[in-house]
Amino acid sequence: MKSRRGLTAYAFLLPSLLGVFAFLLLPVAIVAGVSLFHWELLDSPHFTGLANYRRLVHDGDVRHSLWVTVLYVLLTIPVQTVLAVVLALLLNQRMRGVKFFRALYVVPWMATPIAMGLVWSWIFDPANGALNRFLAVFGVDGPAWLNDTSFALPAVAAVQIWQYTGYNMLFFLAGLQGIPAELYDAAATDGASPLRQFVHITLPLLNPTMFFVLVTNVIGSFQVFDTLYVMTGGGPAGSTEVLNFRIFQTAFQQFDFGYASAMAMLLFALILLITLLQVRYFNRRTTYDIS
Amino acid sequence: MKKPVIYAALTVGAFLTLFPYLLVVLTSFKDRGELFSTRPWLPAVPPSTDSFHRLADSGFLTYVGHTALMTAVLTVGQLVFTTFAAYAFARMEFRGRDLLFWCYLATMMVPNVVTMIPLFLIMRQLHMVNTWFGLLAPYILGTPYGIFLMRQFFRTIPTDLEDAARIDGAGPLTILWRVLLPLSRPALGTLAIITTVQSWNNFLWPLIISSSDDNKVATVAIATLRQSIGGDYNLMMAGSLVTLLPMVVIFLSFQRFIVRSVVLTGLK
Repeated sequence: MKSRRGLTAYAFLLPSLLGVFAFLLLPVAIVAGVSLFHWELLDSPHFTGLANYRRLVHDGDVRHSLWVTVLYVLLTIPVQTVLAVVLALLLNQRMRGVKFFRALYVVPWMATPIAMGLVWSWIFDPANGALNRFLAVFGVDGPAWLNDTSFALPAVAAVQIWQYTGYNMLFFLAGLQGIPAELYDAAATDGASPLRQFVHITLPLLNPTMFFVLVTNVIGSFQVFDTLYVMTGGGPAGSTEVLNFRIFQTAFQQFDFGYASAMAMLLFALILLITLLQVRYFNRRTTYDIS
Repeated sequence: MKKPVIYAALTVGAFLTLFPYLLVVLTSFKDRGELFSTRPWLPAVPPSTDSFHRLADSGFLTYVGHTALMTAVLTVGQLVFTTFAAYAFARMEFRGRDLLFWCYLATMMVPNVVTMIPLFLIMRQLHMVNTWFGLLAPYILGTPYGIFLMRQFFRTIPTDLEDAARIDGAGPLTILWRVLLPLSRPALGTLAIITTVQSWNNFLWPLIISSSDDNKVATVAIATLRQSIGGDYNLMMAGSLVTLLPMVVIFLSFQRFIVRSVVLTGLK
């Protein structure tokens, strides 16, 4: 009886097991394996041990990409998270029309990043784009945005902030609504200012939400691709060449699969490390129940 | 804070949120000359459908059709297979269940680009590059994320009903279909919307695996517009409008539901 039930369970699981094995676990094993080979598209692969990793350590371009990636994460995550919290606080009040605004801010979440990347390229167009035409009304001569090495990365970051702030707001809003009102009442009778209430009640109790939002968004920021692909293609002069994009180019434009796999392992390790650090940080501060 | 200040802030935010959508509509109804002669935020008088004619001539609607087909197949596939797997994880006892579930959770941290290289190599080995099989296979059997979501939801449903059904002689399939699924509409709806959005917007894998006219999708097609014709923003905006519109329609139809339920995904 018991073994028959086990069999039924595996029958239910079979398609998904097949999927996870063939399209997630096997690929991870393959990419780790391929990173030990020199393998360009038409050649047959030959084993070179850790040569790709040695090359990685001395590759100035990879170091540059790592820096651009970190910069991109730093440009997006803090702004996006703070804005989402502020927006959630504003929308957590009893006011007319609040539901309308809540819904409206989530619209960009569903937008196709490739299409929106094009739309924002048009907004950022140096000569005829909406942004510089708008700035010109005030006599300001706007920069070339996507064609300018100092403005291209912030411009791509702005699109991500535009797209996901409202979506993140929803999670913070749910978090805020889970905080019992009595806590604020008690603090108010003790004479705590709204700012102190925010720092000592709201923020600590938002920790589980903060954990979820930060972990998922940081992983997402490390992997920015679509908007970057249509807006800058890694340019100008490599100023938006994040690691994720370099991996893509190395593998699918230069067909250097071995080296691209080593870079992919580096990105994987980086994401894993940063996720674990966040888990440790938040574990000390919250009891977060995952089961 | 005073209410007028809050409303002012919210209205500015709302304008910034909607402006790109407004601009797509305005620009795609302009002709080439008006693109440069008019202010971007003013409409063309009279509106021109020239861009849409050129878009249709380039075969774009076929690619949108491919996207729609891919989205439908992946959404149905993921709902079915995810439900089975999540049911097994939530309600059945078998050896290695918890270990296996943790493995599933761990795979959620694998970056997309890490699996793209080996997936391409696998598909090339199987001669499945530029085929529908290659395009759909990696996603159709369900994702760990979806399984996690459904399993968490199933566990919030009390087991009494299932026990009663089992005493009446119902097997696991009947219980899943007759008892659990009718109670799981919110979670199923959430999963369906997330899968639809992800499939419709998917770009990296289609870019790598399918470039032939038989299975090219809309996202890959508009990315090509950007590269081949430098600054033809009329055409690009028309393509973007056609691609964005279905998601806006879905949003408007399920707006209440989406706002309530996307939150389910993270916090349960």
